[in-house]
Amino acid sequence: MKILAHSYVCPKGTYLNGKRVFDTGEEENPFKSAYQQLGVEYPKFYKMDVLSKMAFIGTELLLPFLPKEVDLENDLQLIFANSSASQFTDNLFIDSYEQLNNPSPSLFVYTLPNIVTGELCIRHKWYGENCFFVEEAFNPGHFSEWTQIGLNKGNNVCLCAWVEAKTNGEQECFLFLLTDSEHADNSIELELSTLIKQYRNE
Amino acid sequence: MNIYVTGYGVISSIGENVEETLLALRSEKTGIKQGEKTYTERFKVGEIRWTNDELVQRFALTQDASRTALLGMIAAKEAFQGHTLDPEIRTGLISGTSVGGMDVSEIAYKGFLAGETDDLDLYRNHPSGTTSEQIAKELGIDGYVNTISTACSSAANSIMLGARMLLSGQLDRVVVGGTDGLSQFTISGFRSLMIFDDEWCRPFDETRKGLNLGEGAGFLVLETEETMKRTEKKPLAILSGWSNASDAYHQTASSPEGLGATFSMKGALAVAGLVPDDIDYINAHGTATPNNDLSESHGIKTVFGSSIPPFSSTKGYTGHTLAASGGIEAVFGILALNNGALLPNLNFKQAIEETGLVPVKNYSEGNTIKHILSNSFGFGGNNSTIILSKV
Amino acid sequence: MSDLKENLKAQIIEQLNLEDLTPADIQDDAPLFGDQGLGLDSIDALEFIVLLDSNYGIKIADPSEGKEIFQSVNTLAAYISKHQ
Repeated sequence: MKILAHSYVCPKGTYLNGKRVFDTGEEENPFKSAYQQLGVEYPKFYKMDVLSKMAFIGTELLLPFLPKEVDLENDLQLIFANSSASQFTDNLFIDSYEQLNNPSPSLFVYTLPNIVTGELCIRHKWYGENCFFVEEAFNPGHFSEWTQIGLNKGNNVCLCAWVEAKTNGEQECFLFLLTDSEHADNSIELELSTLIKQYRNE
Repeated sequence: MNIYVTGYGVISSIGENVEETLLALRSEKTGIKQGEKTYTERFKVGEIRWTNDELVQRFALTQDASRTALLGMIAAKEAFQGHTLDPEIRTGLISGTSVGGMDVSEIAYKGFLAGETDDLDLYRNHPSGTTSEQIAKELGIDGYVNTISTACSSAANSIMLGARMLLSGQLDRVVVGGTDGLSQFTISGFRSLMIFDDEWCRPFDETRKGLNLGEGAGFLVLETEETMKRTEKKPLAILSGWSNASDAYHQTASSPEGLGATFSMKGALAVAGLVPDDIDYINAHGTATPNNDLSESHGIKTVFGSSIPPFSSTKGYTGHTLAASGGIEAVFGILALNNGALLPNLNFKQAIEETGLVPVKNYSEGNTIKHILSNSFGFGGNNSTIILSKV
Repeated sequence: MSDLKENLKAQIIEQLNLEDLTPADIQDDAPLFGDQGLGLDSIDALEFIVLLDSNYGIKIADPSEGKEIFQSVNTLAAYISKHQ
């Protein structure tokens, strides 16, 4: 198994394969800024919740690294996880009916973490498998297990993400593309741990 | 290599265990009625009558936890009854939930907003992951524990992942399913989407208006043939097929042609090595929303062509139990397999004009049922299908 | 009328949680729904119904009427002016 490419999105910046591509540290709306710097036209971006916005930006940057020979429509598997599910938006939704007396349908839609993968599939017309796990912390071992299952099944590449938005302000999205490789690679877990640590320290 | 089901457990508004559930299915009696809690009283819901404290007492649970976790413990305990833990048998638990501990947190938060003393300890029940850990702890499972949160397909996806963990040799035995308790959060949310029916829901009916919510939990124990030789458990069914696909259309609505449904049903058949003609009964997702039932009908027509097997939605019995539905309906599927039963689609009167499909109207036994297909479609276009086969 | 439109834009942004947008980002005649516009959909239409009720006391009985009314800020403003 090997990593084809990786990206990282957080309020202070957007990174691709270890290099910062957008500096949004000073921006009042960091993700709006990153989206505009991306230069794509997708007005539905503005409706999305924080998780989806981060994943959207990070995924756009990875598109050129998706192997051309793969049937992306059917064989691309999305494996996402975090520790807080949709906590950030859950809070906003509760406020909408507790404080404002009007439960907001457009907020409610995003009180499920897997809407993130749904948004990406809608954007890119991907019809393959997708799943969302809730785990205590980023566990690269689990990602490599789940990806291996997908590879065994015949999926050639998996788009994986640890995407988190907590009510305490922590927001990050670490995306990586995993694919098969000729030699058994046991160091992938170490590589992923190192990468996310480096990104977090940026 | 076959994946065998060697245990099942369920709790919903129609029964607190498998036996009660079968009796209710036979009697065609719905568990849906006017809600009895302050946040459910305006709606028809498939509520379980006991409070959380009563659940703990009644089922001799050892932990105080959120409603979601408690319901999960009850069903998982029933499924795991008679199974023993063994360090040689690597056992895991995978559970699906959308509500998590929200039912406890939202009450605590209300108190916090009102400036009352806040017991922060209550919030430890909140995370979805905690509910799975608490269920595992109740069963004494300390191996692989994981949580899937993909809305209404969560339990089906848990079942699917469990099978794959066994096939890939990472586990020998796994408890899989899902659980969701009713909460004000969920009721408010679905109300804001305007997809409730004030009356009893009518899946696949031309006049359907929307869904009734429900709560509950459903779990299976899966083992490989190899493991079964050691545990000497009798299999209840074979989990022969599974699949997940994306509808890629809208966050909460399904595509008009039922693309995601088509892919997941075809995918499950392929995994099972079956053709559409092999399916003897479909337990549909059938939430009774105008959108889902039409979309799913088109998917069924695409996959099964002119020979559509008997099909029904059992959500007229239980309401839509969200993340638990795939697990609860898997248990229903096994009951149908082993009793030769066709389960009725309650409240049906008039076929959808556009499709003309007529579901099973009455309960019957003595039918030849060898393979059952069960659909669970979640918001986010997350569509899953599992296939259960007679041993 | 132009005050109403400016207020509407701010209300739309707030009601629909479009926190990245400013009123200046929304043109009076720009289509709000569909792929061409802000990409709003049936869920957002429900929000508009709430908006009209809470802010202007106008009740829309049938959500499907919304399609005509919610086409753009212009059509919304015209409807509100007519029904207030």
